[in-house]
Amino acid sequence: MKKHFLVFPAFLAALIASAEAKLNVVATLPDFGAVAREIGGDKVAVTVMAKPTEDSHFVDARPSFVVQLRTADVLIDGGAELELGWLPPLLQNARNPKIEVGKPGRVQAAQGIRLMGAPTTLTRAAGDVHALGNPHFMIDPIIAKAVALHIAQAFSAVDPANAAFYDANYKKFEATINAKLQEWGATLLPFKGQPIAAYHESWVYLAHRFGFRIDIFLEPKPGIPPSPSHLARVIEKMKAAQVKAILVEPYHNRKIAEKVAASTGARVVDLAQFPGALPETDTYVKLIDALVSRIAAAMR
Amino acid sequence: MKKFLASATLAGVATTIAWGQSPSPTPSPNEIESLRQQVQSLTQTVQALQEQVKAQEEALAKLGSAPLPSPAPATGAASPSPIPSAAAPAFPTEDESVVASSAQPTPIAGATATPAPATVAASATFPTTDTSVVAPTDSISTTGAGTALTQPIGIGNSRNYMNISLDGLFTGGYSSERDFDRLEPHGHDPNQRGFTVQNVELTFQGAVDPYFEAFSTLIFLLDKNAETEVELEEAWMQTTSLPFGLQLKGGQFLSPFGRINQIHPHAFDFADAPLILGRLLGPDGLRGAGGQLSWTAPLPWYSQLTLAVQNGRGETAWPFRNPGEEGIFFGRMTTDRELRGLEDLVWIPRLENSFNLSDTQTVLFGVSGAFGSNDTGGNTRTQIYGADLFYKWKSARAEGGFPFVKWQSEFIYRRFEAGRGMEETFPVAETFHDWGIYSQVLWGFKKGWVAGVRGDYLQMTDSAFTDDLAREPRSRVSANLTWFPTEFSKIRLQYNHDFLGGTQFFGGEDADSVFLQFEFILGAHAAHKF
Repeated sequence: MKKHFLVFPAFLAALIASAEAKLNVVATLPDFGAVAREIGGDKVAVTVMAKPTEDSHFVDARPSFVVQLRTADVLIDGGAELELGWLPPLLQNARNPKIEVGKPGRVQAAQGIRLMGAPTTLTRAAGDVHALGNPHFMIDPIIAKAVALHIAQAFSAVDPANAAFYDANYKKFEATINAKLQEWGATLLPFKGQPIAAYHESWVYLAHRFGFRIDIFLEPKPGIPPSPSHLARVIEKMKAAQVKAILVEPYHNRKIAEKVAASTGARVVDLAQFPGALPETDTYVKLIDALVSRIAAAMR
Repeated sequence: MKKFLASATLAGVATTIAWGQSPSPTPSPNEIESLRQQVQSLTQTVQALQEQVKAQEEALAKLGSAPLPSPAPATGAASPSPIPSAAAPAFPTEDESVVASSAQPTPIAGATATPAPATVAASATFPTTDTSVVAPTDSISTTGAGTALTQPIGIGNSRNYMNISLDGLFTGGYSSERDFDRLEPHGHDPNQRGFTVQNVELTFQGAVDPYFEAFSTLIFLLDKNAETEVELEEAWMQTTSLPFGLQLKGGQFLSPFGRINQIHPHAFDFADAPLILGRLLGPDGLRGAGGQLSWTAPLPWYSQLTLAVQNGRGETAWPFRNPGEEGIFFGRMTTDRELRGLEDLVWIPRLENSFNLSDTQTVLFGVSGAFGSNDTGGNTRTQIYGADLFYKWKSARAEGGFPFVKWQSEFIYRRFEAGRGMEETFPVAETFHDWGIYSQVLWGFKKGWVAGVRGDYLQMTDSAFTDDLAREPRSRVSANLTWFPTEFSKIRLQYNHDFLGGTQFFGGEDADSVFLQFEFILGAHAAHKF
């Protein structure tokens, strides 16, 4: 016990020292965190709130997040209502003027992005709707580049001494994505225009980028669990369209997808929105690599 | 851009018209003249349009934008929109249909230091502004109240300066005990056999200005005779940007005592409140008009110290300066006097701390006090102490927040100096040491489904001189099952068993009760704290 009391001040001192040396960056979601690490390199310390494997709509507003937000130099959030259920009470308690909206330390990733699928009629009878449009936009590499630039600009504004460093990292990220896009595009070209089924409507940006048709969902409405009658219709539609793949995320009920797969001959493809949710996907590029190769393997 | 294309098309159409009409074998001079006039007027229109386009391009250039790219034909995998790149690679690496041509965030206020290096600017191959594709930055919703500050808060696609929601909470129930007022002591508990309108809550919330945010709840409920009661439950403002982790709050608000007292009835995990809330803090809980200062300590874990001071008068400060029903409280005729000094206010300190036990487990524990005077004597005091513990586990693969396990326990001890009442009319002065505890476990075993159990225990000091209904020792067990179709509705079935054997107040018979509770939320309801 005594030992703990000795260790504690040392830990505290170390914490304060490290806080001074590096830019304290908090990202609400792991994809923003991964891009922030690419741009910030060793000049930033990135903390991510949501776990890559959990449903990012329902993250608990744990008090430890208040501690992270209180000392944050930069906060990166989606700005498209995905974190609406948990970020506001945290910010209310964080009392950190540096990360208020409109300050250089606040990056709202959706700024400058044209969100897809904004509902024309807003009613909760349609399930979990996002008033501003679908917020799962980071899965599109072209959008990720824009967000990366936004992050680089914010880092440069908050930490002008390292502006050239952040800029160079952004250029590197941009070049990597541009090159990778050729590779991903080529891999997926044979399956262009083909139908794919998904558990939840979270892949519109990926479908748009690589030209799939993802219009069959196991959920009858976003966020509403599948009912047997709906699944029967889904199976019928999938058979008619000869769908080969069902996209499932880590927190979805895989058993339901497996049942549908068994009666349609399609394959269940485990995908994830966030870096770190699948093995060996700690960076953004590795995540998209994994998504592309898994989809290609299932469609072949 | 669009205008340019339009004028080009127009010119094309004009030509087509001219060509289309010329094959007529021998046009009369009149026809030729009218055609000439038509062509002339079309040419003029085209020129006017070209000038407009030019003027707009100049205006754009003045705004500091890069020259507009000329549309290049899409190559390779076709993209839904033209690719604005001179040397388009095999697969498009840009897409204006999703990334607005300006990735420029909100103008950075006060960033006068080193400008971003030129390369960053140059790397933006898109023009830096284009209002036809970029949503005006101020229309991008912020993530909610308290963060928005000066920006309007969105309700759906419209823009508004506050969030509004309406929450309705109802119960249908039956109990073997008829006297619900005594069985269920909290003001928002089920109040009769049959249906109860427990709580219809109208909530307003938003940013006042860059310095304050405000919150208000108006509550409507029906008493057992269907009379509508209106309560101003809360209406407060608080600072948003004080330095050093400080925050000031003022208005009418729930006292920062314990855990359950700070939770609105619709967010309770059971159909009724724990016994200690209704009995030790009061049927309306502890709330009132006052001010509060809180401080988040600069420590590596979450630690917050709060001190509130409130009037402590009336039925929402039940154990304090409360004149009681018809001037009687705990059998005494109350003094109902004006404030004499700071000691007559209620002072409420609270310290809460939180740790993560692991990536998926969090604990939050607090200690609270509430100190003030009461109305049963000339100089009688009330002191209340509380301790609360909250533990939550949530799966790392949670869907919609499920599965989870929550454990919440709270202990309250109340020391109440009961005087001899107005003009010393009551035979004795005595001190009551009352205490109680509840503990509850909620298990969200499947998306939308929660099962819960709760135990309640309340010990009241006997008084030889009063058989006040509010001074009964009690114990109770409850179990329930809740289904949340979405986060905006719930249906809950609950069973209570009250152990009343040996108490003189209920005729010594245990009571069994069943409640079916249901709730709806309309509008933009504020997210709840952990």
